[in-house]
Amino acid sequence: MKLTYSMIRDYVETNLDAEAIANQLTMTGFELEEITDAEGEPMLDINIMANRGDGASVLGLSRELLAKEPTAKPTELYSRATNRFPAPDAGSRDIWAKASVEIQTPTCSRFACRIFENLQNGPSPEWLQQRLRQIGQRPISLLVDLTNYVMFEVGQPLHAYDLDLLQGERIIVRQAQAGEKLKTLDGNIHELQPHHMVIADSEKAVGLAGVMGGEETEVSSTTTRCLLEAAHFTNTSVRKTRTELGFFTEASYRFERSVDPEGVVAALNRFTELYTEITGEKPVGGVIDVYPTKPEPIQLTLFVRRASELLGMTITVEQAELYLSKLGFKILGISPDSLEVEAPTWRIDVVREEDLVEELGRVHGYELIPEQLPIGSTPIGGPQGFDLLTDQLREATLRCGFNQVVSHSLRDLHLLDAPVLGGAGEISGLSSAELNAGTPVVQQPGRIRVRQPHSPDMAYLRNSILPSLADAQRRNNLEDIHIFEVGRVHTESGEFTQIALLSAGKFDQPGWRPTDPTTADFFTLKGSLESIAAATYLPISYKRSTTDPRFHPTRQAKVILGQTEVGVMGQIHPVIAEETNLPATTVMAELTLDGLKNEQFGTPTYHGISRNPASRRDIAILIKKDIPFNELDQAILQAGGSDLENHWLFDVYEGQGVPEGSQSLAIALQFRRMNANLNDEESNALRDKIVAALTKLGATLR
Amino acid sequence: MEQVTNVKNDAIAKIHTAKTTEELRAIDLEFLGKNGSLSGLMKGIGALPNDQKPLFGAAVNSAKSEVESLLNQKTASLKTGELAKQFEAERIDITLPGRAPQYGREHVLQQTTNKIKRVLGSMGFVYQESPELERFKYNFEGLNYPPDHPAMDEQDTFYVTDDLVLRTQCTALQPRVFETTEPPFRRFTVGRTFRNEAVDRTHNHTFHQVDCFMVDKGISMAHLKGTLGVFARAMFGPEVKVRFRPDFFPFVEPGVDYAISTPKLFNGKWVELGGAGLIHPNILERYDIDTKVYSGFAFGLGVERIPMMAYGIDDLRHFFDNDFRFLSQFA
Repeated sequence: MKLTYSMIRDYVETNLDAEAIANQLTMTGFELEEITDAEGEPMLDINIMANRGDGASVLGLSRELLAKEPTAKPTELYSRATNRFPAPDAGSRDIWAKASVEIQTPTCSRFACRIFENLQNGPSPEWLQQRLRQIGQRPISLLVDLTNYVMFEVGQPLHAYDLDLLQGERIIVRQAQAGEKLKTLDGNIHELQPHHMVIADSEKAVGLAGVMGGEETEVSSTTTRCLLEAAHFTNTSVRKTRTELGFFTEASYRFERSVDPEGVVAALNRFTELYTEITGEKPVGGVIDVYPTKPEPIQLTLFVRRASELLGMTITVEQAELYLSKLGFKILGISPDSLEVEAPTWRIDVVREEDLVEELGRVHGYELIPEQLPIGSTPIGGPQGFDLLTDQLREATLRCGFNQVVSHSLRDLHLLDAPVLGGAGEISGLSSAELNAGTPVVQQPGRIRVRQPHSPDMAYLRNSILPSLADAQRRNNLEDIHIFEVGRVHTESGEFTQIALLSAGKFDQPGWRPTDPTTADFFTLKGSLESIAAATYLPISYKRSTTDPRFHPTRQAKVILGQTEVGVMGQIHPVIAEETNLPATTVMAELTLDGLKNEQFGTPTYHGISRNPASRRDIAILIKKDIPFNELDQAILQAGGSDLENHWLFDVYEGQGVPEGSQSLAIALQFRRMNANLNDEESNALRDKIVAALTKLGATLR
Repeated sequence: MEQVTNVKNDAIAKIHTAKTTEELRAIDLEFLGKNGSLSGLMKGIGALPNDQKPLFGAAVNSAKSEVESLLNQKTASLKTGELAKQFEAERIDITLPGRAPQYGREHVLQQTTNKIKRVLGSMGFVYQESPELERFKYNFEGLNYPPDHPAMDEQDTFYVTDDLVLRTQCTALQPRVFETTEPPFRRFTVGRTFRNEAVDRTHNHTFHQVDCFMVDKGISMAHLKGTLGVFARAMFGPEVKVRFRPDFFPFVEPGVDYAISTPKLFNGKWVELGGAGLIHPNILERYDIDTKVYSGFAFGLGVERIPMMAYGIDDLRHFFDNDFRFLSQFA
């Protein structure tokens, strides 16, 4: 809403400058967008809240300023405006012979008009043209300029029709007929539907109600008779029509936010005042006013002590009465602690006591509210339970050297999407042919798609975080990258929290010193997952898997945390690596965490530590390659018993000297006994026991 | 006796000519070791007449301590020079680049979220998550939106079905809590929100929000202001002041926009941070919370806004683009 300093001064007597006025308006809720210079005068652009259409006028903003600023005084014009601009010819019935008005739809609650004859619709006087220019309106002709100006002044949109062009000299407010055409003032032709409301003459639509008039009946320089419309329409109907047909007009801006139904005739009268002042001419006597549905008055009780409690500052009954009456509330009764009030008809946002509390607060001044901290029951705050677990997992992943990324949930389909369980229970991934054919029009089974995506490549909710990680790798175009994301994924069976990791290339950054030559592979990722699991004290285990089409079939494993199978890890499938431009050595893990809600976690298990020295024995064995290491591992643990403090694999060798199909494993064994020394014979015996157990699995000592 | 003096003088002469601490260690061994030529003199004491034995013993001991003291002195003086030489030989260029251990880097939004969780958690607000794909009734209906509110339009909100939307605000947690929890309670969440908006420097179709609220007896706008004050000062520094301006949101009454001002940012100008207010009584009543006994406050703000203001980041899109040139600026 734009208005100049002098437009405010017409309504408010004040010494405040434009900036001070803007500050006060901002603190009533009507926020200043900017002050600019318009032909040598400050022009204010004020943002109007969606539920405060009454503010979209000089009158409405003046009311706010007068309530907020104790030094401001109403002018004579303001007083006449609050009295609805009483007209001397109010009792006249002359107009009745000139035209008729009929409302046929409940979305129009009032339609009033005046008629002007013997017109000369020339240009407006310079002061009027200037004021319109200052607020960004183009001066056109006296009739059009006055409708615009009065709308800015009092907030009621007006429209001037050439009465000679209205067939039957009739106005009918009705819903459009299906397919009915209307050419609006902007020159566009619209094909209308029955949910669009129109103003019509006896033959056809002549205007889009509350939005824009029709071109055919608009006033021109040859107009000699004019019918001036002021009406009240339901805000939702106007909003729907204008958004559907792509309009933005000053009239619809106001109707959407609601306009005072009781100000309809007042606006006609204000127009008439100005018209007479400028031309010396009078209108045809009287007003046609069809007003089938008057608004129900809203009467409320305000308990001032309760209001003070809710606001956290003290307001007296006298202050409450002053503030509310300045805002146009009718005071119906006063008691030592309460007020009975009736809300003004322009305040459709006020319907209950708390709405009045807000009125008191904003006029009294929110800056007077002190800062206090709530007392009472204070629980232990912050994340609890499962949220703590995901925090721990995320932090452990950072410690493992993975960089965190955050990606969009809405995206296109991707080869790394989680495979969806097909109808027959078999798992199918997307084929690259399906993807290359563009985003499938048909809904992807098992996937969540938004009905009206912003663009085709943001149509689906991701069902895996891996595609996001692949995107991050591509964006940074790095050979060496170790990244992860924690976030939600969506499938037909619900919304899940997932952590996914992607790792490729070297861990050390290139530098001037010889660096650690380790590069990412299945086992570096496995080790990271083990560290991450250790942070939550959940045991981690793996099961060989071959079924996930995104992974190398002989280099993938299911991951089990505690008792819960949480996902899959392994090396990327070479074909997918090629098609997604990822390094073939990329390893990835995708863990869905929701199943862990039932796991006990977070408890370390303490055992005493021996003060006696440890002894170490290394063994090297030959073993068939098809014996999985964890079988040997279990055998070592079992045979070693409580004296085996630690053991680790430190070499795997195949080649010269090792039979085909076998490998040589070197394993370190560290023994220590609680509260007793182990002598050489005892250590050797422990080693021999372990070797014997391994022999049973087919191992031979080298 | 003369023998003692000779050996002693021999030792002293050798000490004087020694050039390195290593030579000194050899001299130490030669004269003062278990079988050293000075210590060894004591072996001959048995052959002396009884009256000379104490005198001879005293002479040997005195010579030994004289040699030992000189040896120590000389060792100390040589050591200084030798260390100085060693240091020179071991000189490094301290301006060569350091080699950092490879830890993961937290995303700047995570860093911000951690801070938010720490501050609100320490004030007794319990963190709780809620779905991104939300029921219509929690995102709109239960938050006092009138049935035809423009925010519900398909142009503004992503619908999956008539009943499922991508939440447009984290405030959707509130009705979920009201439905299941008896007051008093303090809760907050941090999460993604979605709006069907064109993407540019200051708009994105996805962004993060904090939503924080409490319901208890006698909760007022002053408690809201106090909590926001503590929160804003924790995020932006101790000089921060909080200002309320009336604003309209369907789920609060009175509703305000809150702005902060600090000499450190934007020359102390008021900068809007988010929306807040007392939880609308229509909402509390809908979930059978007695508004005669209880009231509550709520506030929300965009997570991205915090680092944008604090660090002067000028493009909202960076937060979801995962460009390391951006992310590595926030370690």
